[in-house]
Amino acid sequence: MLTDPALLLQVLWTGTVTASSYVLLTVGFSLTQKVTGLWNFAQAGFMGIAFYAMYFALNHLGLPLLLAFPFACACTIIAALVTEAWGLNVLRARHSSHLTFFIFTLIVAEFIIYWLTLLFGTEPQTLFKSIMSPVHIVWEIAITDWDLVAIGMTAVFVAALAGFLRWTKDGQFLVAVADNAKLAELYGISARRAYYVTAVIAALFITGAMYLVGTRGGITPNKPLELILNAVIATLLGGMGRVFMGALASVVLALIQSYSVLIMSSRWQNLLLYGFLFVAIVIFPRGIHFPKWRKRPVVPAAVPPGG
Amino acid sequence: MTQFIGMDRRQFLAALSAFGIAGAGAGRDAWAQGREPVKLGLTQPLTGSQAGFGADFVTAMRMAQKDINDQGGINGRPLELVVIDTQAQPQLGINAVTRLATVDKAGVFITAWSAVVKAQAPVANREKILQLSVGANSPDIARLGDYVYTLFPLADVDITALAKYTYGTLGKKKAAVLYINNDTGIDAAKIYRAVFEKEGGQIALFEAYDPAATEFTGMLLKLRAANPDVVHIHGLLVDVPLVVAQMRQLGLRQQITSYSAAYNPKMLEQLGAAMEGFIVTSLAPGADENPNVQPHIDRWIKEVGRVPNGLPFIQYNYDAVLICARIFKHALDNNKPLTGENLRDSLLAIKEFNTPLTGKTVIEGHRVNKPVYLVTVKDGKFTPLAKLD
Amino acid sequence: MEYFLTIIVMIAIFIILAASYNLVIGYGGLATVAHPIFYALGAYTSALLAIHQGWHPIICVLAGVLVAGVASILLALSALRVSGDYLLISSLGFQLGLLQVIRNFEFTGGAGGLSGIPSTIIGAARTPMFLVICGGLAILTVMFIAWIVRGPYGRAITAMRDEELAFSTLGRNAMSMKVAIFALGCGIAGMAGGLYAYYFQYVSPDQFDILQTVAILTMVVVGGMGTTIGPVIGAVILIAVPQAITFLNLPPNVMAPLQGIIFTTLVLVVMFLRPTGLVGGRSLTSSH
Repeated sequence: MLTDPALLLQVLWTGTVTASSYVLLTVGFSLTQKVTGLWNFAQAGFMGIAFYAMYFALNHLGLPLLLAFPFACACTIIAALVTEAWGLNVLRARHSSHLTFFIFTLIVAEFIIYWLTLLFGTEPQTLFKSIMSPVHIVWEIAITDWDLVAIGMTAVFVAALAGFLRWTKDGQFLVAVADNAKLAELYGISARRAYYVTAVIAALFITGAMYLVGTRGGITPNKPLELILNAVIATLLGGMGRVFMGALASVVLALIQSYSVLIMSSRWQNLLLYGFLFVAIVIFPRGIHFPKWRKRPVVPAAVPPGG
Repeated sequence: MTQFIGMDRRQFLAALSAFGIAGAGAGRDAWAQGREPVKLGLTQPLTGSQAGFGADFVTAMRMAQKDINDQGGINGRPLELVVIDTQAQPQLGINAVTRLATVDKAGVFITAWSAVVKAQAPVANREKILQLSVGANSPDIARLGDYVYTLFPLADVDITALAKYTYGTLGKKKAAVLYINNDTGIDAAKIYRAVFEKEGGQIALFEAYDPAATEFTGMLLKLRAANPDVVHIHGLLVDVPLVVAQMRQLGLRQQITSYSAAYNPKMLEQLGAAMEGFIVTSLAPGADENPNVQPHIDRWIKEVGRVPNGLPFIQYNYDAVLICARIFKHALDNNKPLTGENLRDSLLAIKEFNTPLTGKTVIEGHRVNKPVYLVTVKDGKFTPLAKLD
Repeated sequence: MEYFLTIIVMIAIFIILAASYNLVIGYGGLATVAHPIFYALGAYTSALLAIHQGWHPIICVLAGVLVAGVASILLALSALRVSGDYLLISSLGFQLGLLQVIRNFEFTGGAGGLSGIPSTIIGAARTPMFLVICGGLAILTVMFIAWIVRGPYGRAITAMRDEELAFSTLGRNAMSMKVAIFALGCGIAGMAGGLYAYYFQYVSPDQFDILQTVAILTMVVVGGMGTTIGPVIGAVILIAVPQAITFLNLPPNVMAPLQGIIFTTLVLVVMFLRPTGLVGGRSLTSSH
């Protein structure tokens, strides 16, 4: 079985594709961590808002997806900006410690989740009534329409972000603030603005991710707390400040989990994840990276005495 | 659903009085006279991931309460339901039963979800409050102590019957068992495996999956390699549709079986044609076998606007309230205070109950045995398949 | 009456947890979030020994303390080399990973939990006696921690927490002190776990996950970090208030989320209006 190429390819395809939602969540989380220095667990709450806003728009307001998606984006962006302006900024002004931010963001996530529970109940919901997606067999591999949407969406989002960071002014400011906020301020770059822009980008990525997750299976208000854990682990393994490595890490983690099932029982999948995390933290505290291949410096030949 | 057969509501209520709980002509004024209510505790998940079932269970029990009170209550006293949310979590279940026993002073309560039932048992035994489990199916429940009884058949009943039917009648020789890695799945999966192997079958794959998992490709490819004739999936509301959807999308066409939790209209919606041919067990008779069931379903549609989640469980919960009313009456008729001890004695003294929605209920030890009904999905609807005694 | 006494027993157990956690993060300055896992280790150890070996409760609880202490030393030695964010996240990983292990082993009862912990005290005197035991231990814990931090050792801890660099240059070993505090705090949490197991006669992994971390952390922060009485106040409020809400006779299906909303709002309000906690402890500012 382990040598069947079709099987291995199937796992590769499906594993990578289902990692797409985790890629989006990790990018949002990791970018926030990079620019603001914070592990923003409140994003679990924003995930809930994104999903339920879309759900509400599609199923209760009867809007088409083309309107429901932007509606959800707007709701999530507002939540993120409010948290940023009235919560995180205040704590920053007080020079609060890591623990305070940790508690605050987690409590905000819980607060949002309780409201969503109150409003929407706890029965698992999907964005559309059916979770089945048309299948195409290509070279013996089952590829569904959902798979294509997922890959496409993720590629577009990630490419857009890369372009944004590289070629736009705001993007470059984000990088500057991430490197050294105080120094950036000296150059007239507003850290605050950078934080807001990051919040908006994260909100967009979150909404995209929740669309994918919500069209694939049932979501309950508590589900985001599980999802964010993946983002945390991938961010850590990718290395703090390395957003795209974090994205790669989520894919690698998903593949490891998927492939591991072939050689051991599925129920150990999650444990593998944590074991990996813990070992990685202890051995690679700065994230997994490979030593740079250094070019040997060109040393001028020693001048022999006498010329 | 199938044709309307049987009694209308008036006839049904008459049957209820025949069941023996109507007050002696006290009528609806029982409330107005301010007679002290008889308290029945309910500890169910009203929030949390299982709330879809839990809330519906409570609705069904409230319907039973209304029917009882409309007939004059229990010896003229109104039946009161004290409902506490457990979120299907053991710790909250413990708090709930402690409160029912010591603050509300209820002598009996109805509960569900195996982990919660097990957690509540020591408290029930200690405080001497009668614990009636309805819906939970872990076989351990029959051994949890003097004050713990189940009014719902445990997993060994329906899973045993299903495994035998799958081998003997469906003729499947090679089975795969995929189960959720928690209380719900583990015990039942073991029973299926033991019975299927005893019948002479072979278990090609026996695999647990994490409750939080959403991606099952690896496991399903293992399944494909194992090449079974039939797949039994033992899981819950969120994971079973995912497993089935991914299975069908990978091109796996085997017969799938599951247990009562999959007997759920929402799953039909989510899976559509992928669920065609699915077989689930049901421990309660359908509208075809029992004439009281269809009027109950109609009542749900009229009062709630839809069919209930988990119809068989609903039937048991409704009947459980009637059983409680009957034991209350027995204790009151014998001038005994409504303590857990006396109510337990009444339960054992009566022993056989003509429960309208689930057929006869006989208490054997701490459990009940019932026929198992098999239901299949045909043309997008749940249709009765077989009855196994 | 019994119900209220049970609540007080819970409060006593959480005072022990909050006070020991305060020792670790408030006094020790170690930002870990893995406290509930040591609580869990204590609970499971005591429970398993009671069920399978039938030893005396005091021995079982002490075994729980030992196991929690040893586990914490192992975590500390590996994770305390890094600090700040990493300790936070690695302790989170440790906690969740160990919970997964517990969930997957039949020996520990798996995901369904461990029941059948033998009764110790039987009869009407049970809850009052447990109240005396847990209450007494809670008071002793608080006093013990207060005694440590007020003495010379306490001054050393404060120095290490506030100015680690200077501390090291004076020749003091910061690492061994950190490990010692960590082990002490987590061992005490193990004791709380043992008490919990004997009182409720049931333990399950769900009771020790991240929400529990948030609960204990909130008690410490809302009460006042780095103070003696802060965790006590925090524990009382954060257990009593949700329970009190259940008596408001709200419709049952909104009760739980409403409880959560009231609870989280309360915490946010305190965090913003009284950042040093209700009792006014150490300000939660970055030390460096």
